[in-house]
Amino acid sequence: MSNLLQEIEAKIAGAKVATAKQNVGVVREVGDGVAKIEGLTDTMLNEMLDFGNGLVGLALNLEETEVGAIILGDYTQLKEGSEVRTTGKLLQVPVGKGLLGRVVNVLGQPLDGKGPIRETAFYPVEKIAPGIVKRRPVSQPVQTGIMAIDAMIPIGRGQRELIIGDRSTGKTTIGIDTMINQARINKAAEAAGDRETRPIYNIYVAIGQKQSNIARVIGVLEEAGALPYTIVVVASASDSATNQYLAPFTGAAIGEWFMDNGMDALIIYDDLSKHAVAYRQVSLVLKRPSGREAYPGDVFYLHSRLLERSARVGEKYGNGSVTALPIIETQAGDVSAYIPTNVISITDGQIYLETDLFYQGVRPAVSVGLSVSRVGSAAQIKAMKQVAGRIKGDLAQFRELAAFAQFGSDLDAKTQALLERGKRIIEIFKQQQYDPVPVESQAAILWAVQNNYFDDVPVDKVKDFQAKLGQYFNTRKPELLAKILKEKAISDALSAELKTAVGEFKQTYR
Amino acid sequence: MKISKQEQREARELFRSCLVNGVLDEGRARQAVNLLLELQPRGYVQILSRLHRLVKLNLAQRTARVENAVPLSPAQQAGLRASLEQHYGAGLEINYVTQPALIGGLRVQVGSDLYDGSVKNRLEKLQESF
Repeated sequence: MSNLLQEIEAKIAGAKVATAKQNVGVVREVGDGVAKIEGLTDTMLNEMLDFGNGLVGLALNLEETEVGAIILGDYTQLKEGSEVRTTGKLLQVPVGKGLLGRVVNVLGQPLDGKGPIRETAFYPVEKIAPGIVKRRPVSQPVQTGIMAIDAMIPIGRGQRELIIGDRSTGKTTIGIDTMINQARINKAAEAAGDRETRPIYNIYVAIGQKQSNIARVIGVLEEAGALPYTIVVVASASDSATNQYLAPFTGAAIGEWFMDNGMDALIIYDDLSKHAVAYRQVSLVLKRPSGREAYPGDVFYLHSRLLERSARVGEKYGNGSVTALPIIETQAGDVSAYIPTNVISITDGQIYLETDLFYQGVRPAVSVGLSVSRVGSAAQIKAMKQVAGRIKGDLAQFRELAAFAQFGSDLDAKTQALLERGKRIIEIFKQQQYDPVPVESQAAILWAVQNNYFDDVPVDKVKDFQAKLGQYFNTRKPELLAKILKEKAISDALSAELKTAVGEFKQTYR
Repeated sequence: MKISKQEQREARELFRSCLVNGVLDEGRARQAVNLLLELQPRGYVQILSRLHRLVKLNLAQRTARVENAVPLSPAQQAGLRASLEQHYGAGLEINYVTQPALIGGLRVQVGSDLYDGSVKNRLEKLQESF
């Protein structure tokens, strides 16, 4: 009881502050999520405004006689003549480990009905990206679990890798597979008591997606046991353009907390095309001048300031990293449209997914020729470098020669061998969705490919051979896989062990 | 009728010319309005309405609205005027309004600046903090 009394007294004492100066204005016009306010002479750009009844807004347009503000929440309550006050604060969101496993909206309010969020701190939604001195080169891998990507287009912690393709080519699936794989790696490291492996926490930002799609993604993550390591930020298609505009920044702020506290985060922006569209709507309603394709002039700055916040920082500056996987949807494969070219020039590489490949059955439909990772093998463990180093080149040669494949028997033995090898590699890289492959299994299988164990397997049996080989490694030779994972390289001893293991398997394979 | 960019610009220039040392000069403002009505240049109605809005906003910045639960005595009013003018400069127009709903204390709004020391506001803040 006495505690309660003390609490109330403290609160009353707190409320007895000296009368502070506030800045007020009057709403002159409201519509489409935007309010034009007269007065508010002391507003700062991006300042949070209080419209009363818990409604907040951001001051985006500071004009001579009025302020244009976007409203976060239900703007239908506002009337002309309502009073608006400045708060002197920037928009902030709750951050911390208490958000893991939760689904939140743009303001950090929970949407999953699992109770209030227990935050560690509040981070501003708009923040200047780490400077040059604070950064460290990217050298640690992010294992996506997708063989095509981990072998040929490896991603590192702190890199931005764009996933670009037409609709329904598997862009979100790559993101989900990566998140599931991170959760598996985290769990394995926890179970083994491994202190060296740094866990990666996932942040999935859904911008303008259908709510059924978002529910499906959450369902898949939950089933795979990845939700406890994931934070989902939702601004669905039925949310206002303001919410969709701010959602990626909320995600970036959440990721920055992990980066500042010595942890690694992976953030997936799904997708930035819809983000640009929402920003276009906000800009046009604010009567800002429009440019190419009616996008505002600063749509490049919109994405560059968002993606620059994903970085790897040095030990003195937080010792963490944020890896970003932005997703862009192209129309009819046109990567030279406005927004795709913008984001391609900002990111450190792209994974290009093609509809043709998808319908040919190559899934993930990664186009090896057009996909690139500017960090490359610096972000691969030595084992993968040893076995996968030549694969991209082999596939490039295969593509060049594929036209001659129709001439079958008329080619010399070397060309034939290249063609056969290329076909098998493509078969091997086909993978089921939501089933990421651990890096040690990948290294073992690719070692087998490099050492010609797949060459006499018929192309249509390659998948079966690969699956059974994987099972064989998991059930009969788990210590071999564990050794590869621990040493992160394939030494001569390991090479010999692999030789005996695969030789044994081949003899028993039917 | 919608006002064009040209008319907006002209109204703004006209308004700026009515300012003397940053303060609106009434004589000049009247002169400007009469000139516009006399000469009737192209789009003068729109220019007039925009000028009206700019003058209204400027005057609002120079106007203080003092709300109190009970009417203030002349001595209190003089003291208040002195302290406000010290902060905002001379020539403030002060409107005194009696607002019993405030219960007690003073609520002063000068332009966009609000000093709300009323008991009603403090009670609301107390309620919010719980």
